[in-house]
Amino acid sequence: MTALVAPRTAGALVTRLRSEAWTIGVWLLLVAVVAWYAVLIPQFGAFQVSSILKNSLPLVFLAIGQAVIVIAGGIDLSIGAMMLLSSAVAARTMEGRSFGTTLAIGLAIVLGAALLDALVGSVIDVSGVPDIVVTLAMSFVWSGAALLVLPSPGGGTSPGFRWLFTGSESGIGDVFLPSLVAIVVPTLAALWFLRRTRLGLSLHATGSDRVAAYLAGVDTRRARIVSYAAGGALAGLAGLATIAITGTGDARASLGSQLTLRSVAAVVLGGVALTGGIGSAVGVVAAAMVLVLVMPVLSTIGIDPNTAQVVQGSLIALVMMVAGLAEWRRRRRA
Amino acid sequence: MSTSMPGRPASAGGALLETRGVGKRFGAVEALRSVDLTVRAGEVHALLGANGAGKSTLVKSLSGVFAPDSGTISVMGASFAVDSPAGAMAAGIATVFQDPALIPDLTVEQNLRLTGADLAAVERWYGELGVDPAVRRELVRVLPLEVLRMLDLARALALDPRVLLLDELTAALPADQAERVFAVMRDRAEQGGAVVFISHRLAEVRRLCDRATVLRDGVDVARLAPREVTEHELVETMLGRRPEPVRIAAAAVVEADAPVALEARGLASGTVISDVSLEVRRGEILGVVALEGQGQERLFELLSGERRPDAGELLVDGQPLRARAPYDAIRRGVVLVPSDRLMALLPQRSVHENLVTPFYLRVRSWFRLDPRERPRAAESIERLAIDTRAQGQVRRLSGGNQQKVVLGRWLATGFRTLLCFDPTRGIDLDTKQQIYRLLRELAADGAAIVLYTSELQEVRLVCDRVLVLYGGRIVAQASAESATEDWMLREAHGLEGAA
Repeated sequence: MTALVAPRTAGALVTRLRSEAWTIGVWLLLVAVVAWYAVLIPQFGAFQVSSILKNSLPLVFLAIGQAVIVIAGGIDLSIGAMMLLSSAVAARTMEGRSFGTTLAIGLAIVLGAALLDALVGSVIDVSGVPDIVVTLAMSFVWSGAALLVLPSPGGGTSPGFRWLFTGSESGIGDVFLPSLVAIVVPTLAALWFLRRTRLGLSLHATGSDRVAAYLAGVDTRRARIVSYAAGGALAGLAGLATIAITGTGDARASLGSQLTLRSVAAVVLGGVALTGGIGSAVGVVAAAMVLVLVMPVLSTIGIDPNTAQVVQGSLIALVMMVAGLAEWRRRRRA
Repeated sequence: MSTSMPGRPASAGGALLETRGVGKRFGAVEALRSVDLTVRAGEVHALLGANGAGKSTLVKSLSGVFAPDSGTISVMGASFAVDSPAGAMAAGIATVFQDPALIPDLTVEQNLRLTGADLAAVERWYGELGVDPAVRRELVRVLPLEVLRMLDLARALALDPRVLLLDELTAALPADQAERVFAVMRDRAEQGGAVVFISHRLAEVRRLCDRATVLRDGVDVARLAPREVTEHELVETMLGRRPEPVRIAAAAVVEADAPVALEARGLASGTVISDVSLEVRRGEILGVVALEGQGQERLFELLSGERRPDAGELLVDGQPLRARAPYDAIRRGVVLVPSDRLMALLPQRSVHENLVTPFYLRVRSWFRLDPRERPRAAESIERLAIDTRAQGQVRRLSGGNQQKVVLGRWLATGFRTLLCFDPTRGIDLDTKQQIYRLLRELAADGAAIVLYTSELQEVRLVCDRVLVLYGGRIVAQASAESATEDWMLREAHGLEGAA
């Protein structure tokens, strides 16, 4: 009798690299875009790096949150609105408070957002209504609530809190370490959670094949609820980052819906399959930063903002088509 | 494995698993009416029944996939009220389901960690089950089905369950692999556990099982010792009436000058298929046999237009066919009944919609429904005796009935060449016979049929000619009468060619 052997095609390292090819590709794309930007503008230094990093923060957080939800088989169209609500609450409650108080409020906002989205997740699971319907409805609820909390732009936060995300108490400066930490820590945490913990793997499993996961003994309900809770926490964090960057609150609904769509774009561009189960947070972070950078790059080379939007959209579509083609060719050859 | 099975000591044991009056209904369909089942320590217990008898439903109730509507289940005397698979595992019941419960996008190792399986314990079983430990790092997606089945089993065994439920585990396994599973099953029983075994292969059941409970229409109708009865008697108990004797289709001799319906010349595809040439004439059933993984799946993908060959050509009615998609082949009358029934069906749509799907191909029915749709669909349902009690959604039908819907679709829409890939896998004898008869009738009406089968005896039952595939090549062909199972098996192992 012969042993059942897996079809081994290449060494472990090569297999590993190939399976992460998309992630590596997105990071190379980011490096290329940054390099291009650096060549385009005459004085590229710590100030620009700091500006790029801090301006990426809200979308990076939302994209990681969206990625976690999509990997678990859902999608959250209310993630931008939740960010809006968080920043509105933060602006209202943090103004004129001490650093310690704002920190405590920030923590409470993140937890509160996680709790609210966990509730949404359980509604989705119990009711059986598709994710896209429930979260679309919730997006109106959250953005309406945000306007109730903060009817007109205003409010603020403590200087220390602004430093936490931007590296400067005024929000503008050339210290980029805090922003870098604010990006790296959630990314690594998401990576570790999704790939190294049982709960995280159960998210992958639920998104990949819910029936098989259930039969294998995975608590798929918990997995879905946890994914929404994680998404909510990151939306809360994105709200805090927004107020830290701008120093004031602004609850216009269009800001939220724009960011929701861009978070989905980042997830797709970052190599997460919208059908669930596949992808990692690492690629998504790079994709989010590319999306944030494309606009200033295009405006630097003299393309007006409206045309730039068209170019940006076409670029995303193009990248996805090239990837689809590569995948198709690979499958044909196999 | 030794041929003599040591008799189980009569004192072997009390009931490990017991059900009393278990019932479960899905909408209008009463899948289980009332089932009493007693599984004792130290036995391999067969659960028998025709398709739709309720075996899978019972297994799912026992393994916590859903709770029964009525009745009680107890494990070692303690009542069992768990409604999740994880809970059933904790109670000592581990199940290997009909379909792999592994996540395709995770590696084997991640899959095992996901369910909290004891990795070391799982890997200890690899040797016994013949699994290469190097699978650990592979994505489940790329692994062949038989490896996945063994991983499912190893994971269940690693829990050291008191009761092991195996639902059609051996259907997808080659013979040597099945032997390994049998050895493990006996071993579990000898150590005081219990195994509940579901298999359509009655020879396996008679060889391995100490006792059997027979289900019919959701009720347990008999308890017996399979070794003491003949296969024929087992079938009779399952069906509740005397089955018609298996008819060896005395195939009307196909005229040598009957037109060739489908011809392949020198087909090649990657490293999987090389230089395959075959032809099938009107009125003829051509059998294809092979061990698992000899390129049969790819060959059918090529024939059905799902994939283009790297070399060689296909001729339909003498004219070349260069199909870009199955659509092109279907338009030329070449249709496929794939191995995975759910792949061909729209599981959430009705029987009727599934039957008439190909009608939607025609441009003239883009904006209106074809008037022939209804009568043709009704005709198919009648001719195939499709059980339409759960017709609202095809996924609620039993496997056999689903297969009939796939066949019925092509009956309703018409075809000239039928490609069947293992159409009777996991289907009860009664339905099998219906399918054999249907294939013969279709051939008599002038259809050409290519039939891949994993059950060698089917060749002599229905085919006119057979060819054997080994390593992606045709290594032998013969007329069906002259093809003995022994000969086919040797050819399929590539033995004759090597000698």
